[in-house]
Amino acid sequence: MAEKAIRLGGESTAAAITQAVQELYPEHKFTEAEFARKDNAAEIAVDTNFAAQSFWKDVRIRFFRKKSAVLGLVMIMIILLLAIFGPGMNAYTYSGQDLSQKNFAPRVPGIEQLGILDGSEKMSTTTGTKIVNNYVEKGKDDVYYWFGSDLYGRDIWTRTWEGARVSLIIAVAAAVIDMLIGMSYGLISGYFGGKVDMLMQRFLEVANGIPRLVIVTLLLLVLQPGMITIIFALMLTEWVGMSRIARAEMLKLKDQEFVLASRTLGAGSFFIIFKEVLPNIIGPIITQVMFSIPTAIFTEAFLSFVGLGIPVPQCSLGSLISELYNSFTTHPYQIIPPIVVMSLLMLSFNLLADGLREALDPKMKSM
Amino acid sequence: MRFDRRISRRSFLAAAGVSAAALALTACGGSSSTAASTAASTGASSAAGTAAGGTLNIMLETEVQSLDPQIATDGTSFEVIADYTDGLMQMDADGAAVPALAETYDISEDGKTYTFHLRDAKWSNGDAVTAADFVFGWQRAVDPANASEYSYMLSDIGQVVNAAEIIAGEKPVTDLGVTAVDDKTLEVQLNVPVSYFLSLMYFPTFYPVNEAFFNTCKDTFGTSPDTVLSNGAFILTDYQPAATAFEMTKNPDYYDAANIALDGLAYQVIKDSQQALMSFQTGALDLTLLNGEQVDQVKDDPQFTSVGAGYLWYISPNIDAVPELANENLRKAMTSALDRDAITGDVLKDGSAPCYTAVPPQFATGPDGSDFSADQTKFADSCAFDAAKAAEYYETAKSELGKDGFSFDMIVDADDAPQKVAQVVKEQLETTLPGLTVNLTVEPKKQRVQDMQDGNFQLGLTRWGPDYADPMTYLGMWVTGNSNNYGLWSDAEFDSIIEECTTGDLCTDPEGRWAALYDAEAIVLEQAVIFPLYGQCNAEMISSAVTGVDFHPVALNRVYKRAAKNA
Amino acid sequence: MKKYTLKRILTSLFTLLAILLVLFILMQLMPGSPFNDEKLTADMRAALYAKYGLDQPIYIQFFRYVGNMLRGDLGVSYNISKNTPISQLIQSRLPISIQIGGMAVMLGALVGLMLGIVAALKRDTIFDTIATIISVIGVSVPSYVFALALSYTFGFKLRWFPMLFSAKDVLGSSVLPSVSLSMFTMASIARFTRSEMIEVLDSDYMLLAESKGISGPALIFRHALRNALIPIITVLAPLIVDLMTGSLVVEKIFAIPGVGSLLVTAIQSNDYNVVIGLSFIYSAMYIGIMLVVDLLYGIIDPRIRLAKGDD
Repeated sequence: MAEKAIRLGGESTAAAITQAVQELYPEHKFTEAEFARKDNAAEIAVDTNFAAQSFWKDVRIRFFRKKSAVLGLVMIMIILLLAIFGPGMNAYTYSGQDLSQKNFAPRVPGIEQLGILDGSEKMSTTTGTKIVNNYVEKGKDDVYYWFGSDLYGRDIWTRTWEGARVSLIIAVAAAVIDMLIGMSYGLISGYFGGKVDMLMQRFLEVANGIPRLVIVTLLLLVLQPGMITIIFALMLTEWVGMSRIARAEMLKLKDQEFVLASRTLGAGSFFIIFKEVLPNIIGPIITQVMFSIPTAIFTEAFLSFVGLGIPVPQCSLGSLISELYNSFTTHPYQIIPPIVVMSLLMLSFNLLADGLREALDPKMKSM
Repeated sequence: MRFDRRISRRSFLAAAGVSAAALALTACGGSSSTAASTAASTGASSAAGTAAGGTLNIMLETEVQSLDPQIATDGTSFEVIADYTDGLMQMDADGAAVPALAETYDISEDGKTYTFHLRDAKWSNGDAVTAADFVFGWQRAVDPANASEYSYMLSDIGQVVNAAEIIAGEKPVTDLGVTAVDDKTLEVQLNVPVSYFLSLMYFPTFYPVNEAFFNTCKDTFGTSPDTVLSNGAFILTDYQPAATAFEMTKNPDYYDAANIALDGLAYQVIKDSQQALMSFQTGALDLTLLNGEQVDQVKDDPQFTSVGAGYLWYISPNIDAVPELANENLRKAMTSALDRDAITGDVLKDGSAPCYTAVPPQFATGPDGSDFSADQTKFADSCAFDAAKAAEYYETAKSELGKDGFSFDMIVDADDAPQKVAQVVKEQLETTLPGLTVNLTVEPKKQRVQDMQDGNFQLGLTRWGPDYADPMTYLGMWVTGNSNNYGLWSDAEFDSIIEECTTGDLCTDPEGRWAALYDAEAIVLEQAVIFPLYGQCNAEMISSAVTGVDFHPVALNRVYKRAAKNA
Repeated sequence: MKKYTLKRILTSLFTLLAILLVLFILMQLMPGSPFNDEKLTADMRAALYAKYGLDQPIYIQFFRYVGNMLRGDLGVSYNISKNTPISQLIQSRLPISIQIGGMAVMLGALVGLMLGIVAALKRDTIFDTIATIISVIGVSVPSYVFALALSYTFGFKLRWFPMLFSAKDVLGSSVLPSVSLSMFTMASIARFTRSEMIEVLDSDYMLLAESKGISGPALIFRHALRNALIPIITVLAPLIVDLMTGSLVVEKIFAIPGVGSLLVTAIQSNDYNVVIGLSFIYSAMYIGIMLVVDLLYGIIDPRIRLAKGDD
């Protein structure tokens, strides 16, 4: 006890403690051993808690310990694979129409024997419900639409995965670009501080104060509609959050010793910002990117609903939902696949981001 | 005794309503005839039993844009204004002009002077409706200070003396060729005889405005129940600008109040058609518009009907700016490659009918009383779907142009139906004419119209609704230099026929004019100046308790004066 | 403090003015024109431009607009509700949006807080997992899907609540839209509360409080929640503003006369004054709320005021 006190407080504390113990327990006699250094080198040598390991190995261990995060990662992988190979898994193309085979309910070979997914659907009409099987009625025995066909007779399976592909490309591209811009903006603003920071923050306030809908719609009206434009529009709305985080991190780090040391050694501002500070804040940045992917998917879906999504007949998950929305009460099976895929994608990215956040910085708050 | 009379009036109304519905329905879809007959039986049975009345719950797709009769331009606003305001004439069940506030009228020998004799009618503030109210209303319509968008109804279309000069700011509004001879007599001077002039009188642009009342509201005119005056079947009781729900009650002082069965109207704006149908099923709505997708759900329901909306949808190729589209054979190949039956039957499903004429059927009636475009096979040769013929034209076009592939952009409104149609059109053109690609550009309607007016397009999917009951409302568009001749097509022969029919000798020769108009239409279709697609119909649900709602493709889309609802 | 407050208010006003200018410039870039009916001739369009002063150079329009605005005049609508003063449109529509958005935020915040607290207190138990699943679903499923499902089940099938908004039964008809809108708020607040609470619970002063013998509800609410609440409020504030304009699709489904659908219609029909008016109100609310939060924050926690350079 006293030994520990001495280690912590030095000679004077040790003296005080010795005196205190003496007063309370006069019968106690101090031995030399009590003041000797404890020889426990063997014990601490195997202490894994403090074993030298790289930051990334640490992250990996913490990440894989969290089951929900792993689940998210696996689901993203599956959706990604389906988005890549799904459209090629049957003979249909995403835009090929066959009006004689419109509104066919899902029918899967094999499973159809079980009485489900056999191409029949229960339609609730205003005059009562009825069961129809378009495959039987139209004599298309050898035709299979795994997820059903839409009002133009296009295969929903193909379109769902094609849509997932487009949504993923848009979301990831927007998130990465907005990371680059938002991060640089935040870092620069935070590093230089003073007038520069003031001006940059006022600009940000103005940009943030205008409803995003106005900016995004306008942009989509001015530029040629298409994937690039949508990515650009999404990027414009998302970089603000990223820049805030980068700036806050920069403010935290810029007065620390390693930055001062680097500056003393003659490093330029650019070097300090991107070579010294950036590697230290990569954790929160990656987490924010992961969170901004689902937001981008959501925003894209919203744009589709306003009629500013990807141009027809191309599709994204959002445009599929808004397009099939009108069949929700007539042919509900049509809208279910894109909604489920989109929700799963959102869920997975959120789980993954949650896991990454805890793995990268257990103490970090969510934004 | 009194009760009996009421019953007999009921059954008369029911019958009138049914005949109206049947007439409106003839062109739109096969399911319509059943709808009409069922409505007839329910109408008859209920007429014998319960007393009618009640409030009609009506769904609107969009908010009212303006309740100022001289400022409003859209169908919704027109319908609502006409609910509580009468003009000189009104539409009967068939859409023909019959006297309303004008009890009688005289037309001069030369057809250039109309004299209307007004009946005794009252505004809802107790003032009498006078000829001066009409003069004030019409002068507002042409006053450049008001910049009324529909002022051309008085100038170009109505040909009222001095209207064009006043709009251009060259003459004072008091010079307008309309005068109040006395309180009950209104005299109108026209530049040239206008055969359809009476049918313009039910257009809200020509409605009266009480000047004294207007001056008490000025800027707030038409923004609340307190700032509108009613002289019609109903009185506005609850309204504010851009309201999504508003109400009217029956006007007890209406000159024809005895024949108005409904107690009131309750409008509700619902932009989601699935919600609208569900509301209809719960009984909260009596009348609602459906999306084509929902027709599957209701096609066996006797309450489902399809009514003509008057619009012709067509594709306009930019003949002037796109060299490939200047090739007549390519245009013919394209128009012959379009399977209009598939578009209306498989995709739209709302009862819209394929159209093979440049003037859609069902609004223009000729001197012999027949529909101008009743015969849809007349020009079918030049535009109906024929893959073999399309391929033939296409080969000729390819060799003439020395090209093997073509790629065109088509601009399309960002609304539901146009996007659906455009996707099918793209698929049909690309399948039937290999090597031809169509890229769709979706834009908000305002922008699409501007792009077409500026000639900034290759193909445009557009529509046109008739302004008045004459084929000229369509054919006049393709005259050289007309602002709606988007493709800047020009043909001397066509121009001369139209000239002859508007201001030339044929003006006074209805039969000759009619024949000449067919010649003009033939030129448009044979040269494939436009690719007509379909006449728009709307899928509606009308509660079986409701009878006598009149649907019209022109001017006032729905009229409730003869409607009744059985409790 | 006074000096700081004054400075913050002045910069906010300046920001608002800048936003107004940007909005004006954006309107100029907008393709199309408010007067673009198929039936309109070029002369007529010119007449309409002249009537509304749109033929003037942009700086004149801007200064005129600012001048009018100071007198409370935000101009009139060009086409979606012709010649109606924007202030009147806002007066009739904004309260409904605020009411439904407000109900949604309150509901979301309340449920979210409870979920978050439970999850934090029972960390790594089944309660935590359930709360996490609910909150993740809340951010994963779009609000219009909730809206459609709720309206179909509770409006159409069970008929517990009206399917459409009605001015006669504002409270009853706001239930379904508020619930569908609250899901996102609920989920974000639950997640945020959880992590804040965990941090607070692990802190030294909680250890101190606990060692002083405080326990149970008093410990959680007096000590833990109070400290976790401040950052939660900062997250909540912008959500309120977003909910009012971002509820477009839900507005469409429940036929709510709110500002979200008005803004979208206005953008698509080039109704400049409506777009500028609504956007400006949005910006003013946003910046106003930010200002209030900032000042409150400064009062509650002096360190922030100092950090922001209140010299």
